[in-house]
Amino acid sequence: MGLSNKIENTKSYAGLMSLRWWLLAIAGAWALDYVLPSMLSPYIFQILVLAGINVILSVSLNLVNGFTGQFSMGHAGFMAVGGYLSAFLTTSLVEHRPDLMIDPATGELLGTAVIFYFGSLILGGVAATLVGYIVGLPSLRLRGDYLAIVTLGFGEIIRVILLNTDAVGGARGLSGIKQFTNFGWVFTFVVITVFCVWRVVHSAHGRVLQSIREDEIAATAMGVNTTQGKVRAFAMGAFFAGVAGGLFAHYLTTLNPGTFDFNRSFEVIIMVVLGGMGSISGSVVAAIVLTVLKEALRPLQQYTGVDLRMVIYALVLIIMMLARPKGIFGTKEIGDLFRGRKKVKGDLT
Amino acid sequence: MNPSFALKAENLTIMFGGLKAVSELNLEIPLGGIFGLIGPNGAGKTTVFNMLTGVYKPTSGSITHGPTGHRIDGKKPFEITRTGVARTFQNIRLFKDLTVLQNLLVAMDQNPAFKKYNLLPTLIHSRSMLDNEAAKQDAAIEILKIFKLEHRSDELSASLPYGDQRRLEIARAIATGARTLLLDEPAAGMNAQETTKLMDTIRDIRKKFNATILLIEHDMKLVMGICERIAVLDYGVKIAEGVPSEIQKNPRVIEAYLGKAATNDHAK
Ligand SMILES: Nc1ncnc2c1ncn2[C@@H]1O[C@H](COP(=O)(O)OP(=O)(O)OP(=O)(O)O)[C@@H](O)[C@H]1O
Ligand SMILES: [Mg+2]
Repeated sequence: MGLSNKIENTKSYAGLMSLRWWLLAIAGAWALDYVLPSMLSPYIFQILVLAGINVILSVSLNLVNGFTGQFSMGHAGFMAVGGYLSAFLTTSLVEHRPDLMIDPATGELLGTAVIFYFGSLILGGVAATLVGYIVGLPSLRLRGDYLAIVTLGFGEIIRVILLNTDAVGGARGLSGIKQFTNFGWVFTFVVITVFCVWRVVHSAHGRVLQSIREDEIAATAMGVNTTQGKVRAFAMGAFFAGVAGGLFAHYLTTLNPGTFDFNRSFEVIIMVVLGGMGSISGSVVAAIVLTVLKEALRPLQQYTGVDLRMVIYALVLIIMMLARPKGIFGTKEIGDLFRGRKKVKGDLT
Repeated sequence: MNPSFALKAENLTIMFGGLKAVSELNLEIPLGGIFGLIGPNGAGKTTVFNMLTGVYKPTSGSITHGPTGHRIDGKKPFEITRTGVARTFQNIRLFKDLTVLQNLLVAMDQNPAFKKYNLLPTLIHSRSMLDNEAAKQDAAIEILKIFKLEHRSDELSASLPYGDQRRLEIARAIATGARTLLLDEPAAGMNAQETTKLMDTIRDIRKKFNATILLIEHDMKLVMGICERIAVLDYGVKIAEGVPSEIQKNPRVIEAYLGKAATNDHAK
């Protein structure tokens, strides 16, 4: 096996993950969005939407916690920034420029209103990215536990700020948000998130992140600007968390500062840890499994009257830590399991 | 400008609390040479490396990189590496969960000889980004071949035998593009046969890459065998410098290594 052979392999692998297939997947999702509602109950649909949002959250957090090895506990904070901003934007438009959003004859949303919805999601993501930079620049110089505490505090600060901001309803929250989010939108962003994170991780940028996780001192000694790498991972993770917040807001239709409390961050952390720190497919699977599990546990919770979810999460986590401390997939991807062992081609997948 | 040195340290001093770990050190590493830094345990050798590579900021003194003429004291480690000074570690610090090839690529990504691409070409897999990646892979494999590690390129670095891990660290330092290489006890834990092989490799890379090598080592066979010049550190102070035959005879060096009693015995 020569070198040319090796690069050949990477190229064909790259072909498999090419843009074409991803775009096809998005088109498929929109097609399903028209077919599925007539076949499946709205309840199943709700689970699909929530699972998709959780996939976006867990994959993006994995970039920070799994691939870069920085323990962030503030993902819900970024979600709040994106969710509130995008919801504020669309509700403001409906209020002040109804001509752009609502068909006066029927009172329904205009078809073109989704453009503003899409724009608000992106702006929410951008705002979360900026906040990510602002939080990240000073705090990413901290290590391990300190970073965890700072990001935890950040989430709380965001919550308190929202609680005291009248423009977004303060403690009452923000209501009357139009329900733009459907399965098609969620799946589109799931694909975008997985695609972007996958390509970044399997690139020179991804090697920067992984070298930081593996050994920060060795990474700097190899010429890696570790602070820059960490801040970039943080900002990119924040972007997708912000978008997920926007999707979530336009699904729930009401927000209050408690929507994005620490429990949200905790749930996402569990998904990342369970799936495997550094496994994208692991995060996808764990997000889906835990979303379904949460719904499955709902009857039990109504029956017993206590919130068993957190108890079960904690138990699952303890069992995992004992049985498979590196998560279900470790740093492997599902494909690697079928191939028997971790086989890393030059990297360009 | 045509400097004759790769690195020059002047009056380099560092204090840890009350402890003067390195004191007024003057060191000039000739360009293209193999230079040994020796001394008993705790003499301050690794601390010197840590100052030269920016891990520690010297309390006073200066460090100059000959080929570029830049002052590098006070710079961050990654900046110093990009200037052209790279190192290995006394306690091996490989990226354990990455493969042998990936370990080299991490360094190659930062090699100033290769272009860096931002997010967009990375996401869309632009032609030139992919070509650049392939070129970095080629270059990495070339280096692995010199170390006879290319057949293990897809294995996790942690799975290599100990001696190969040390050699991979040297390969990784070369991949940064730096041509002044600081090796901290490269033969530690190696058997005699591996050490001999390592000596050949060090000579080989000096020639192939026009490299300058500064190494810390306790194995006297290696030090005396390949170093053209040696400096001896004791309690943070340079007590001798010269060619191997001078160092071997130097009474202060013998004393530092064996203690006063030994020199007295020797004299009797
Ligand atoms: N970060 C630090 N803080 C305090 N003291 C330190 C620090 N780093 C090194 N020292 C001290 O400086 C002295 C020199 O240590 P150094 O590691 O440089 O020795 P060395 O010559 O490399 O020894 P060895 O041959 O055992 O590796 C020791 O007394 C050590 O305890
Ligand atoms: Mg040492």
